Amino acid sequence: MQTRPILEVSGVTKRFGGVTAVNRCSLSLARGKIYGLIGPNGSGKTTLFNCITGLERRDEGEVRFKGGRIDGLKPHQVARRGIGRTFQIIRVFPELTALENLLVVTQGPFEAARRRAEELLRFVTLDRLQNEYAGNLSYGQQKLLEFVRVLMTDPELILLDEPAAGVNPTLLNELLAAITGLRDQGKTILIVEHDMKVVMGLSETIFVLDYGEKIAEGPPGVIQADARVIEAYFGR
Amino acid sequence: MKRAFQVGLAVLLFGLALYPTMASGYGIRFMLQLFMWVALAQSWNLISGLTGYVSFGHVAFFGTGAYAAGILVTTHGWHWVPASLAGGVAAVILALLIGYPCLRLKGPYFAISMLGLNEVMRVLVSYFEGLTGGGSGLSFPTQPASVQIYYAMALSALAVTGAAYFIITSRFGLKFMTIREDEVAAEAMGIDTARYKLGAFVLSAFVPGVVGGLFARDTGYIEPISVFALIITITMIVMALFGGKGTVWGPVLGAVTLFVLQELVWARFLFFYQILFGAIIVVVVLLMPRGILGVLQQRYHLPRTI
Amino acid sequence: MNVVITPAMVGQVVISGLLAGALYSLVALGLALIFGVMRVINIAHGTILMLGAYTTFWSFHILGLNPYLSLLVSMPLMFLLGVLLQRTFVRRVVDAPELSSLLLTFGISIALVNMAQLAFTSDLRSVEFLTGAFLLGPFAFSKSRVISFAFAVTLSLFAFWFLQRTKLGKAIRATSQSREVAMVCGINVQRIHLYSFGIASALSAAGGSLVAVMVAIQPEMGQVYTFKSFLVIVLGGAGNYPGALLGGMLLGLVEQLSSLFLTTQVSEAVAYLLLVLVLLLRPTGLLGGRST
Ligand SMILES: Nc1ncnc2c1ncn2[C@@H]1O[C@H](COP(=O)(O)OP(=O)(O)OP(=O)(O)O)[C@@H](O)[C@H]1O
Ligand SMILES: [Mg+2]
Repeated sequence: MQTRPILEVSGVTKRFGGVTAVNRCSLSLARGKIYGLIGPNGSGKTTLFNCITGLERRDEGEVRFKGGRIDGLKPHQVARRGIGRTFQIIRVFPELTALENLLVVTQGPFEAARRRAEELLRFVTLDRLQNEYAGNLSYGQQKLLEFVRVLMTDPELILLDEPAAGVNPTLLNELLAAITGLRDQGKTILIVEHDMKVVMGLSETIFVLDYGEKIAEGPPGVIQADARVIEAYFGR
Repeated sequence: MKRAFQVGLAVLLFGLALYPTMASGYGIRFMLQLFMWVALAQSWNLISGLTGYVSFGHVAFFGTGAYAAGILVTTHGWHWVPASLAGGVAAVILALLIGYPCLRLKGPYFAISMLGLNEVMRVLVSYFEGLTGGGSGLSFPTQPASVQIYYAMALSALAVTGAAYFIITSRFGLKFMTIREDEVAAEAMGIDTARYKLGAFVLSAFVPGVVGGLFARDTGYIEPISVFALIITITMIVMALFGGKGTVWGPVLGAVTLFVLQELVWARFLFFYQILFGAIIVVVVLLMPRGILGVLQQRYHLPRTI
Repeated sequence: MNVVITPAMVGQVVISGLLAGALYSLVALGLALIFGVMRVINIAHGTILMLGAYTTFWSFHILGLNPYLSLLVSMPLMFLLGVLLQRTFVRRVVDAPELSSLLLTFGISIALVNMAQLAFTSDLRSVEFLTGAFLLGPFAFSKSRVISFAFAVTLSLFAFWFLQRTKLGKAIRATSQSREVAMVCGINVQRIHLYSFGIASALSAAGGSLVAVMVAIQPEMGQVYTFKSFLVIVLGGAGNYPGALLGGMLLGLVEQLSSLFLTTQVSEAVAYLLLVLVLLLRPTGLLGGRST
């Protein structure tokens, strides 16, 4: 018997005035895998993330996480259930230090949290900047900081909105390794990424959005050959 | 360095505790007003400096406390100490009632809604004449008690500064700051921003309520236009801003500097008082929006806790 | 309650409400312009109204100038003051957090009020120009109110036409839709800010000249108008200029109607209560503004 998917998005629709940003979208993610979510600019990827994490209220459809409904919950409630995310446009806390950015999202014993934070900062080579205000870090550094901030809360499902954009190539490899490492620990990951090499390399299954609709789903090889996907990307 | 600071602080507190035994009546009243401003500026700092929600009507809590205490003292014969504490409780109740809806507003809308709240409170107090004496005010029949009020004001200032210290230096306090930094990201990271906002708001209302009660007892007379005056809100904001909002000692420093300046210098230029005050506001906003400590902090990489 | 409210009273109140509302619309349109274009709430808006009222008072008192003609003096004068304020101060806080602009304009406001006190004293002044009322069946309307209403409506419509039809007006509206887009389209945004502040101040000054014949003039008269204007733009929806016009009428009506049942003091609180309620229930304004 197959275990229940960790995340089930069924028939989710989100409209902004006349624009249907997400249109009856359904996805199902199994635990412990890496998924990719791709699509041209404005195809609704970020909006779908927002609907899953509660930042936008979906107009139709439902979202289930570990079997329980999470659509309609407040964003912090969704986060507490174990979904972490990063943002396409960086959202670190600029006037908190790098270390504080990580500590602030934790609960429970302080010392343990600090050790974990320091370890993660070392991992993204920000340890020497731990007392620097996050707003003073470079774009790429902020991106990495945001990535490790998600890990501080130890979420089971991680949504990454373009994690690779602006990260330098050497660090990028480590970042990708880290993402696979997380998967090996049993986490589920959904990545939005425009860099096809990155998504195709990481993901086991890829979903393709176009004008808010899911137009394809499958392993990278199949997706690359899919006529509709090619059409969506290269015009019609 | 830290040690020296602590010792200095201890000596200062000791000196202030002994001060009334050797000071003149004027000196005591000067100091108690100074404490009042420290308490008010620091209270404003708790909501606006930390969470970034600019309360443009914080004097509403001061006025509510003053009237709650005033009514309890004059018509129910309470002693002024419990009455002032009750003033704090009244302010907290007001904060709870309006905080939940108003804190959903963002940016200038929240600021203006608070301004509106203060106007509503002032009109309500004037309207219920039977209870509050209406526009003609409320007089306290009792004897002066400057020395006791000196200590009460000092304790209030100390308490709210202590709270600010505790909050700003703790992980718990960082959660308040995430609201100012990026409320959406804070939510997405599992921080219940609505609860923290309300918490900060309620916390920032209590001491102004208490201090309002003490002020009422000290001046012996209150009226709606004097305890719900917009200028009081502005003064506490400018004090906090001048010293450095979002820091522990900024509001204290700002309140002391501006109050001393005001008493020693501008009080002589009553006619130009508002021109000078307006100029100070403009200078602070344009040239040092981070305040004295904010600037030092950035330049010398000092921790937020100084 | 032993006060009987007759239909005639209601009629009178409704019309008075509209008469007062047109002035609110005019003044609020100025505030809406500044808020729409720069996202700045100008606390000194009412202060400029006060200065406009004094301009009318003095030109009437010293030169014997017809108060309605004095619009030709007060509006250009306050336009210049507005441009000056924008150039020297407000420009610097356009992109700062709201605290900065609120405080800055408040500082400007109290300094100007204080100067007015020094220059003109705090005595209540009035312009005794038009007294008496038009009688119309059961209704009576003071002449000054009716004429001010006519001026306010004309000026508002003119301003509105200006925003809709002229090149500068279109540029202003484009800037309040999106500054980035305006910039990309080659609009000099700094200049637009300058003009907007100037025009807004001229509108406020016009309001001041028009109320000068109706109410007592004193240095602190302006604050109320700042708040009411803000209420009007909240009612109408931020960034929605026709909304400001309707919002003003609505405020006039609500105030007058509530004064039927309540004392004037409390009816003022009703306005603020309305503000808070609208903010909570319809944050984008009754008539729908743009969302942020
Ligand atoms: N808050 C909003 N209000 C109005 N329209 C919106 C809003 N957010 C998104 N949209 C619209 O919804 C559509 C989908 O946007 P979304 O940001 O989800 O796309 P995306 O796939 O993430 O694009 P990109 O690859 O550029 O990040 C777009 O047409 C966008 O203009
Ligand atoms: Mg996106």
